[in-house]
Amino acid sequence: MSKIKYFVQQSWLLIVASFCFGLLIAVTSAALSPRIRQNEINKRNRLVSLLLPEAKNFILIEEQIEIQSLQRKKENIEIYRAMSDANECVGWSFEAVGSGFADKIKLVVAVDKDFGKIAGFDVLSSNETPGFGDQIKYDYFRGQFKGAPAGELKLVTVGEPDEIDSKIVAISGATISSEAVIEIVSNSVTQVKGQMQKKGIIGNDK
Amino acid sequence: MTNSNAKTARYVQTLIAGLWRENPVFRLLLGMCPTLAVTAAVKPALTMGCCVIFVLVCSNIIVSLMRNLLKPHLRILMFTLTIATFVTIADLFLKAFVPRMSEMLGPYVPLIIVNCIIICRAEACASKNPLVVSVIDAIGMGVGFTVTLCVLATVRELLSTGKIFEAQLMPDAFVPWAAMSMPVGAFITLGLMLSLVNIITSRKA
Repeated sequence: MSKIKYFVQQSWLLIVASFCFGLLIAVTSAALSPRIRQNEINKRNRLVSLLLPEAKNFILIEEQIEIQSLQRKKENIEIYRAMSDANECVGWSFEAVGSGFADKIKLVVAVDKDFGKIAGFDVLSSNETPGFGDQIKYDYFRGQFKGAPAGELKLVTVGEPDEIDSKIVAISGATISSEAVIEIVSNSVTQVKGQMQKKGIIGNDK
Repeated sequence: MTNSNAKTARYVQTLIAGLWRENPVFRLLLGMCPTLAVTAAVKPALTMGCCVIFVLVCSNIIVSLMRNLLKPHLRILMFTLTIATFVTIADLFLKAFVPRMSEMLGPYVPLIIVNCIIICRAEACASKNPLVVSVIDAIGMGVGFTVTLCVLATVRELLSTGKIFEAQLMPDAFVPWAAMSMPVGAFITLGLMLSLVNIITSRKA
């Protein structure tokens, strides 16, 4: 009995404080979480609508799309159908992750409505070297993907960045970052395309 | 009358101590992790400083209120619990209202939990002093930390981009020093600042 008394004497403050603090965090989190979720959705939608200018609305499709990541792990991907004002499908978007030079690179990729061409990508989060690797965010590099065929992409060191084809000119001094982006984009696009064709969400290649 | 005068003098002393004599970064060398990590630009540095002020004031209030109830061997646990609570709240607020800044600061906001400035003030001041002194101490230390962070960030941002708050301050001919926005720039700037502060204090003495 005296043991229990000693225990309570020593720890009552800790127990009471834990409950109070827990309650405080729970209330704050409950009040703010819809806003936080909305912020995330807004950010992705804002980036995608720059890539697919006609898109006004994004709907999550119900089908499960599972791809193999570059690290050979199974990964579930949420695919969003981009709808125009007239409620027609104008394209698709999804998030793709892979390792970069310093840290993971998280991209949002947009593809046109029959997965023929890539509409572009944007960087959701990355930690590449400022001035070199972080040029993956720059327009001249991202521009090379706009309209490129939705399939395997190739990295070249010499070439015309203005020419839109499956050859992507690397950022000089940042080969690893350029290669990482190309791998992430072409891996996810090819696999998502294959899965979507298999499930009959989009038609096969003509 | 003299009693209240002495009190006011003590409050002012406590407030000023955090700004210069016991400046957490330059004099006590505490909280080096955020100092080095978030001072690449002024905006994140300012946000970080405000978060630290918020957490410092809240945790000092709580610790000061329960200072007579604390058991010596459980006190560090209580400090950490209190600090962690307010850091989580600050983190949630940042995510909800300034999502871009929250992304930029990344893990450094949750890392305020282990920031030694806050635990140091809880141990050295709030657990021994009444409420008012603790709050004043928290404000002094917090503002001191924020100002120091902003000074470092101003130097680094100006040299690495030529801009402060998106306003071009350097002439067009200025070539940005990319290194200043990288960790190496943080170490060099902090080292030079520390030596400058040491020169000033040794002259004074």
